[in-house]
Amino acid sequence: MMLAGVLLFLALVLPGLPLGQWRAFTLDTAQFAFLISGLALAWDLLARTGQLSLAHGAFFGLGAYAAALSAPALGTIPALLIGGAVAAFSSLLLGLATLRLQGMYFAIATLAFSEVMRTLVLKAQFTGGSIGLPVQPAFGGAYPLGGYYLAVAVLAICTAASLLLSRSRFHYAMTATRQGEAVARVLGVPVVRVKLLTFTISAFLAGLAGGVYAMKTLFLSPYDAFGLGRAVEALVIPIFGGLYTTTGPLLGGLIIVSLETWLRLRIGEGYLVVYGVVLVLTILFLPKGLMSLFARRKGARHA
Amino acid sequence: MDLLLQTLINGILAAGIYALVASGLALAVGVVGIVNFAHGEFSMIGAFVSYLLFVGAGIDPILSLGLAAIVLFLVGAITYYGLIRPVLAAPELNQMLLTFGLSVALQNIALLMFGADTRVVSTSYQGATITLGGVSFGVPPFAAFVLSVGLLGALYWFLGKTRLGFAVRAVAQNRLAPGLLGIETQQIYLLAFGLSAALAGIAGVMLSVMLYASPTVGFAYTLKAFAIIVMAGLGNLRGVVPAAIVLALAEAFVSTYVPGGGGWVEAVFFLVIFVALTWRSWRLP
Repeated sequence: MMLAGVLLFLALVLPGLPLGQWRAFTLDTAQFAFLISGLALAWDLLARTGQLSLAHGAFFGLGAYAAALSAPALGTIPALLIGGAVAAFSSLLLGLATLRLQGMYFAIATLAFSEVMRTLVLKAQFTGGSIGLPVQPAFGGAYPLGGYYLAVAVLAICTAASLLLSRSRFHYAMTATRQGEAVARVLGVPVVRVKLLTFTISAFLAGLAGGVYAMKTLFLSPYDAFGLGRAVEALVIPIFGGLYTTTGPLLGGLIIVSLETWLRLRIGEGYLVVYGVVLVLTILFLPKGLMSLFARRKGARHA
Repeated sequence: MDLLLQTLINGILAAGIYALVASGLALAVGVVGIVNFAHGEFSMIGAFVSYLLFVGAGIDPILSLGLAAIVLFLVGAITYYGLIRPVLAAPELNQMLLTFGLSVALQNIALLMFGADTRVVSTSYQGATITLGGVSFGVPPFAAFVLSVGLLGALYWFLGKTRLGFAVRAVAQNRLAPGLLGIETQQIYLLAFGLSAALAGIAGVMLSVMLYASPTVGFAYTLKAFAIIVMAGLGNLRGVVPAAIVLALAEAFVSTYVPGGGGWVEAVFFLVIFVALTWRSWRLP
């Protein structure tokens, strides 16, 4: 909660700080970090019900394409909402078919879904296919910082959703579903509906982040928007930071995106290796993420 | 008529290598209980082993098959000891994330080492074809098919007729009881995971000739193998061959008969996964 507030404040004043020649780069990286952290928070919501989604990259991409295509006709904000809605609707369809499945079955289905969405976008005409799709900047470029503040807004919305959902009664339903679906059902938790609702909210947020991303990069290609990289970022960040928390993905997002940006500058292609390695090491040595370090220290101080 | 026959043959020939990759994955899932997202990357390593041996030492891929199998068995064993065994008791989510992370890491390490280019092992017999009564097919796919059938036969014989094979099946059925009966469960896991990787590696050598070696070549096969074992029932080894034939035929028919088919083939496995999973989820309570 504290960190979220501090972060939001920093994000709001960052464009005003005297950064000199680093200003454009810092703002661009920060904007990217906010969007990816938002995506990570969205992914974490679904993880709270015990489902491993590999489709969040696809929701991000769907939101990006839908927002990019509808922005010229509708304006920026409605287009972003359309992006979220398209992602949410596709997650609803995917969820209706597959959320009765558990564990590995669901993960495999989402992986297949994201691969096929990329094929469809590549094959379709109105998306520009493999050539790509040029995108207008946010608000038609009227405000230079418009895209940046949209990213801050998306991160704020995702953080708020994550905080609210961890303080609501719904949170217990999600946790119960994760910890034991059969038991949760016996206790009267409608597990399929809980998963479906969470999935839809989560996909909506991912689509929203995708839309702002489109207006940031100004150009979409199926390989970028639907690449597995997004799905990987979406899940490595919460795991590294700390699953089922709000602070974890925020903290993880900042650290990992910084690392990623640095590596991207140094080695270019293949920078995703850091995600693979961080994921493996975290699962092996720090399965509860960075947050468990703080929790342990806090516990020790109290003792 | 010839077109239909040709399509059928293409499908059947492709099914061999699919079944080989999927059998390995079925071993990992069925015996060790690990959903290995990095399975296709073992094939990728196999393809690069074949490529490097061919370019570096002029070794024919036929000879690389055995070497790649040994190398990948070792890679599988190391993976099991270093990564899989520590998470055997962890939640399924962690296990899946671990193998997924391994897959991402291996793909990108290969990307850093070799770049994104596709590299073909071009042997003298690569373009050779056999023509039989109006249908023709390449020698490498045919050889790969025959070899796959032979290996699968050997695998079934091993699991069905040998004492060690019985032990593997016992461990697959029950995690605790075989240990009480004096079977070294850990060693069986190691064997099964090593075999799983070795099968993927052999398939990778075949891919290096029939397709190419590239960092992402394995990933498509992970997905196809998942489609197959989902259709067969996760961990059900006996269903793998018919499921592989169904998938390969479906792909062959789409690429032949659907206008502008090429790219849609990529979507076939998804449809297969989707239909199989949905059918499963609505049939089971």
